[in-house]
Amino acid sequence: MNDAFVIEGKMALPYQYFAGAVGSKFLVALRDEKQILGVRCSRCGMVFVPPRQSCERCFSALTEHWVRVESTGEVTGFTVVRYAEPYQPKKPPYVLALIKLDGADTPIAHLLECGDPGRARIGMRVRAVFAGERRANLLAIAHFEEDPAGTQEGHSPARL
Amino acid sequence: MSKNRNAAIIGSGMSEFSSHREDVNQPEMIHEAVIEALRDADIALEDVDCLLHGNMELFEMVHQPDMWHVLGDGARGKSGLRLTTGGTTGITLACAADNLVASGLHDVVLAIGFEKLQEGHTTGGITNMADPLWGRSLQTGALTGTGAQKVIDEFGEERAKLAAMKYRTIMDEHAMRNEKAHRRLRLERQYIKETADNSPPLVGELRMIHMCSQSDGACAVVFASEEKVRALGANPAWIVDHETVHREETMVFGSMLSTQRAAAERLFARAGIANPRGDIDVFEMYDPSAWWGVDWLRDFLLLEGDEHLKMIENDEIVLDGPFPVNPSGGVIASNPIGATALVRVAEAAMQVRGTAGAHQVSKPVRRALASGFGGTLWTVLMLLSKEKPERRVNTHG
Amino acid sequence: MAEETSVPERIVSRQVLAIPQRFSTGPVMGRFLRELRDHKRIMANKCPKCGRHQLPPREVCAVCHVEATGWEELPPEGAIRDFDVVYYASPDPLTGETRQVPYVLCWVDLDGTQGDAPLWHLLNVENLAEVRRGVRVRVVFADERHGTTEDIRHFEIIREEASPGAGTGAES
Repeated sequence: MNDAFVIEGKMALPYQYFAGAVGSKFLVALRDEKQILGVRCSRCGMVFVPPRQSCERCFSALTEHWVRVESTGEVTGFTVVRYAEPYQPKKPPYVLALIKLDGADTPIAHLLECGDPGRARIGMRVRAVFAGERRANLLAIAHFEEDPAGTQEGHSPARL
Repeated sequence: MSKNRNAAIIGSGMSEFSSHREDVNQPEMIHEAVIEALRDADIALEDVDCLLHGNMELFEMVHQPDMWHVLGDGARGKSGLRLTTGGTTGITLACAADNLVASGLHDVVLAIGFEKLQEGHTTGGITNMADPLWGRSLQTGALTGTGAQKVIDEFGEERAKLAAMKYRTIMDEHAMRNEKAHRRLRLERQYIKETADNSPPLVGELRMIHMCSQSDGACAVVFASEEKVRALGANPAWIVDHETVHREETMVFGSMLSTQRAAAERLFARAGIANPRGDIDVFEMYDPSAWWGVDWLRDFLLLEGDEHLKMIENDEIVLDGPFPVNPSGGVIASNPIGATALVRVAEAAMQVRGTAGAHQVSKPVRRALASGFGGTLWTVLMLLSKEKPERRVNTHG
Repeated sequence: MAEETSVPERIVSRQVLAIPQRFSTGPVMGRFLRELRDHKRIMANKCPKCGRHQLPPREVCAVCHVEATGWEELPPEGAIRDFDVVYYASPDPLTGETRQVPYVLCWVDLDGTQGDAPLWHLLNVENLAEVRRGVRVRVVFADERHGTTEDIRHFEIIREEASPGAGTGAES
């Protein structure tokens, strides 16, 4: 006789995550000024958005070189989310896209609203739509939307 | 089994240890330790072949932290492993690094342990280690008064309590000389009794003052092959041997296996150490509380009766004494758990390499011992030496 | 940034993570929990090699590493071997809720136990001064039992002078 059975359990614990000085500067600018900040590696020239303290490639310190990038950019990859689970930011189907902002070298992941998810394309020009409420996380940008008029004409990030 | 070649520690680094590091995120905190370790070893990131990464997920609830930490730890494009073995994680990283280098698989290995305990609930996280069907609803993390009770039963309340607080005070005196240490309380010997009486009780006779701290911090240690040591002209602390002893039961005391004594017996037999107090010059012990520090000293040094209490009472374990224990201040001073046992190895190596600065012991250090503690009271021991081990170490097959 | 504020704001994200889990008891712990739930019986398993009991039972003897195949019922009474008076208010890991302190945990050698196999549970006691090693205690079962640890509500001290049946346990 097999006596095995299943017991329902739960694990519940409080957690907090500190963004640190570099991450906080990025999030505060995003929340308070609707500005998207990055850092430039002086050795390899890469502009990282979100900013980070050190370059993962050459290990040099980055936080001396803050830049402001545009809130417009280009889709470099995307996926259509079609399954539902409780932790998602919105009801499926929706498009999760990798967006390289003009002036940045690294893409950020965000929601793309382009009507029918089937319209999403790599290379699509997009612009950030900021949320109504102030948030100190990446959802200070509510989502990205198509920006048909936008062109990528040699954007260079503004030094701060 | 035998080692193909010797491995040595040639550098180490530690972040600031503190109860709060709101100024850095996890990879940034780790970066501090990695940069310091590379600088100490006088090597560049390109010289590192493999990274080992360890902590316990439940303390921060960041899943696959090794993936996120590539931003700060230098793992991009390199070989790597993640290890997590409870409180012993840090010294398990050191054992794995020794194995990887001694086997010939890698020439230079960087071991990284970290924890940001401020980001979670330490006791809650440890409690979830326990069997979900039985002990999880009863366990209180690593807090128990039974360790204290054992010493009190054997030596009487007055002598036991004084020994625990004397040990605690010596650890604080050491921490005062270690600028990286987290808790530096300036405890004074004449107020030992008052200090204990005024400290909040946690469990039984275990009080806050006896218990290890909850720290944020990271530690990184560079391991290199003997060929690399020669080529770099490095100042090495050679790894003689290491030993791990497990047991299954968490909270059964009494006649159950002492993993501390078992690990010491096996390691010392292989290394030809007949008289631990004479043959070893300094000991960095993973002491989760003053009570366990007192009690385990006897087991680790294979002592009998009250010899360990006398060592404490006679000031033998102080930094300038005949057998210094935890010149760093130990775990009671600083405890970023996933880094803690690696800090023991790093501190032991610093003593061998003579780089411990203000907390360098005054006697010459030929051999140093480091221990780790975790899980169901299991133990890892590592022995380091100034002299390169002459014969290849033969371990039990 | 043109101007730095004197104390830069530090962003922190806070949350209580609650993850539902399902644990399979396996046959050995399953039998132990079923016996608690259905018959209020405490069943230990026994190592065929060294003869020690294990409570709660596990598939393999923790000392000899052989399958612990034997089963024996142990009485719901015994003596306190060790205890912890807990003053630290930790969260219950199953709910995240902070526990009331102080409370007492005890390890009890049930009568007839062979080897190191004390039963670990809460001790319900008003006067902490009464908690000593060797004190006789009995298991108090929960009225509603679901096949979990909480089917044992707690231990209570056996009082010789109390009339039989005064405890809330054995008859409920």
